[in-house]
Amino acid sequence: MFLYYVDMAWRSLKRTPLVTILMICAIGIGIGVTMTSLSVYHMASMNPIPSKSDELYAVQINTMDDGETWWSADNLPYQLTYQDAMNLYREDLGIRKVPMMRSGFTVHMNKEGFKPFLAGTRVTGYDFFEMFELTFLYGGPWTASQEQASTPIVVISEELNERLFGGENSVGKEVYLDDTSFRISGVFKEWDTHIKYYDVNNGAFNNTEQVFVPITLMESMELETWGNSNGWKYQEVRTYKDRLNSEILWLQFWAELNTPEQKKKFESFLDGYLNEQSKLGRFTREGDSIFSLRDVMQWLEYNQVVDDDNRVLNGLSFMFLVVCLANILGLLLGKFLRRAPEVGVRRALGASKRDIFAQHIVEVSMLGFFGGLIGIGIAQLGLWMVRETYSYYSALATMDLSMLLAAPVLAIGACVIAGMYPAWLVCKTQPAIYLKTQ
Amino acid sequence: MLEIKPIFNSLRRSKAGALMLLVQIAITVAIVSNASSIVQDRITYLQESTGYPEDEIFSFRVFTYGTDVDLLQKFQENETLLRNIPGVISATSVSEVPVSGSGSAGGFSDEPGLDEGKNIRGAYTEGDETILNSLGVEVSEGRMFSADEVIHTNDDTIVPSIAIVTRDFIDELFPDGNGLDNTMYVGPNPVKIIGIVDKMKGPWLQDSAADNYIIFPKVRGRMVQKFIVRAEASERANVMKQIEDVMLADYNKRVITGIQGMDDAKEEYNAGDILMMRMLVSLIVMLVLVTALGIFGLTVFNINKRTKQIGTRRALGARKSAIVRYFLVENALICVCGLVLGSAGALYLGQALLTEYSVPELNNWYVAATALFVLVMSLLSVVMPANKAASISPSVATRSI
Repeated sequence: MFLYYVDMAWRSLKRTPLVTILMICAIGIGIGVTMTSLSVYHMASMNPIPSKSDELYAVQINTMDDGETWWSADNLPYQLTYQDAMNLYREDLGIRKVPMMRSGFTVHMNKEGFKPFLAGTRVTGYDFFEMFELTFLYGGPWTASQEQASTPIVVISEELNERLFGGENSVGKEVYLDDTSFRISGVFKEWDTHIKYYDVNNGAFNNTEQVFVPITLMESMELETWGNSNGWKYQEVRTYKDRLNSEILWLQFWAELNTPEQKKKFESFLDGYLNEQSKLGRFTREGDSIFSLRDVMQWLEYNQVVDDDNRVLNGLSFMFLVVCLANILGLLLGKFLRRAPEVGVRRALGASKRDIFAQHIVEVSMLGFFGGLIGIGIAQLGLWMVRETYSYYSALATMDLSMLLAAPVLAIGACVIAGMYPAWLVCKTQPAIYLKTQ
Repeated sequence: MLEIKPIFNSLRRSKAGALMLLVQIAITVAIVSNASSIVQDRITYLQESTGYPEDEIFSFRVFTYGTDVDLLQKFQENETLLRNIPGVISATSVSEVPVSGSGSAGGFSDEPGLDEGKNIRGAYTEGDETILNSLGVEVSEGRMFSADEVIHTNDDTIVPSIAIVTRDFIDELFPDGNGLDNTMYVGPNPVKIIGIVDKMKGPWLQDSAADNYIIFPKVRGRMVQKFIVRAEASERANVMKQIEDVMLADYNKRVITGIQGMDDAKEEYNAGDILMMRMLVSLIVMLVLVTALGIFGLTVFNINKRTKQIGTRRALGARKSAIVRYFLVENALICVCGLVLGSAGALYLGQALLTEYSVPELNNWYVAATALFVLVMSLLSVVMPANKAASISPSVATRSI
């Protein structure tokens, strides 16, 4: 029966080619525009680490004086001071937690003929790789004792390994970062995270780092930050040592808390730590200690990673889709009602109302299907435009499989909704009236 | 005369079709007026001048990892080296590059005490006496600092005692107009303002204080150093190509990166806004197209459905113009209802967007202009099918009965 309906639908669509093309174009354009902005929105708001996004927490603490404010929604600074980050890191609580900072080096092999280049670097703890699910191609992270001894040791990306060593196992080999020789401890596989959720300070959709070095090198090598430093207090900062001891906020901190008990324990630790710092006279503030733990999705929401423009566009495109639907609904009304005499005959010959309804729904679904296909084409064109204009969005402006499937589903769904009323009207047709006039 | 009553009666009989048209027109007005208001806002922003001859300037960064040279001296030599490239007008080693999206900013006060006086936010950069020439701007009041006033040091905490500032900044700090030769404070350090530049944008064009920019006479030799070069506009591309080789030939334990024209840097900084603008313009164009096609299609249908009635009317003596007028009036009736509804919707949407997101306030003129535009477009979409209807011969009506 279904195939028969498809055949009928095809004939009907061919009978009024102009209107059919109009309707398919309308739904195609509507879906195309909607999918373009929806795809970017979908990628931007997608969970970057679904398996443990609710176990990784960004840590914020308030160590500012009374009355100091911040530009975040809850007046908490986004980053931590060096001393706090290291104090939290060094406390053994039986959980994984890492401080981190964005830096960078000139990478070279210290030999003639090799052209040095720059590489963004993450300065962090050895637990980073386990926490953020990086898998190793060769070797592994540096060890706790290597970190403690401020060993110049490095983990690099597969891509960098390809560039430096032609892709062979480079564990144990040497590479120069600025003027220091580093030993390679591991090479991690391509890390497919389109949102740099662990540090959104300098753009959440920028590339992730290719080089990772131990956090303890910060002090021994006096590493410069490539990220943001924020202060709230005037302090004389003459040396790097001054900066480490200052109230400048320039590190990020993440903790992995697998159970509610761990979370509770960590919260009470933070509370105790802040009370202790307050007693030491670090900051003047009465009342309870203020801190916050946000999991990955809360963190992205809090940092407004999906920007306003994207949301506005998304809303407008959906309204646009509604216009297209109203458009199709109007055309379908006209088209179906004109067919009332034919339907009258079919009804008289024994077709039930349900049959008539089903047949018309099949017809509009076909419209939706073709419209969806055109929509995908238009959306690809739109996304290409997005990538061309805004390279920062290049990783986002693509349709993943779910979006590719969503396009025809959305198109067919929309068409069926638009087609319901006209189909219902036409199946109400009283056969007698039409039989009489003919 | 306009036969409103019969039109109204006939509309009542096919409510759904008319309603759909009305909905389409209403939403179209709501979207188009809001979208065009946002587009206009972005265009105004994008066309704003930075104060620099953007097509003559480019900048690049130098990351030095070699430790066997005195960078203070090396960068001074490099400035001369760069100026000697044919086509180059001026070159300066600086701490930060304007319009680049990265820079330094701080609070400046008119009082020496830390908690006293104003605290005005301003971005700053450091360079020697050639910096204004490299940026292609001039001091309009006061004077530029001279070569012997420039401090050469690697000590971060030394604050020069003089500075050049922008007009916007000085007017904000000293609103009484007595800013020139007055003293501002960086923490406890006094800085005398010796010159004013009318317009030069800071590093962040979208900053709330984008026009506050301060230049200190100071040169440093840091591991990460930036250069600004101004060349003849026609020669710039050529000069940019040579930069890496020239700089590495002089000393090779360093990386030259980020060679970028100021106009490109500006476009990159604004890429998000340009994208939004293009998306909205495409949205508007397609929306208008779809709506126009919809009205066209619906009218064609209505006419087909009413072929017999039209033929009968013609047979009974109606002129062609009466038929055309009938469809125009019918469409205008629906359209006006849609426009009223749409205008209200547009204002509501504008309010909602304003409270939720960072968009400009919707000017009522946009709604009015959009409504007028949609009305004209709607009538134009009807004219062709209506003319076709008018040419239906009266015989059609009589033939089949």
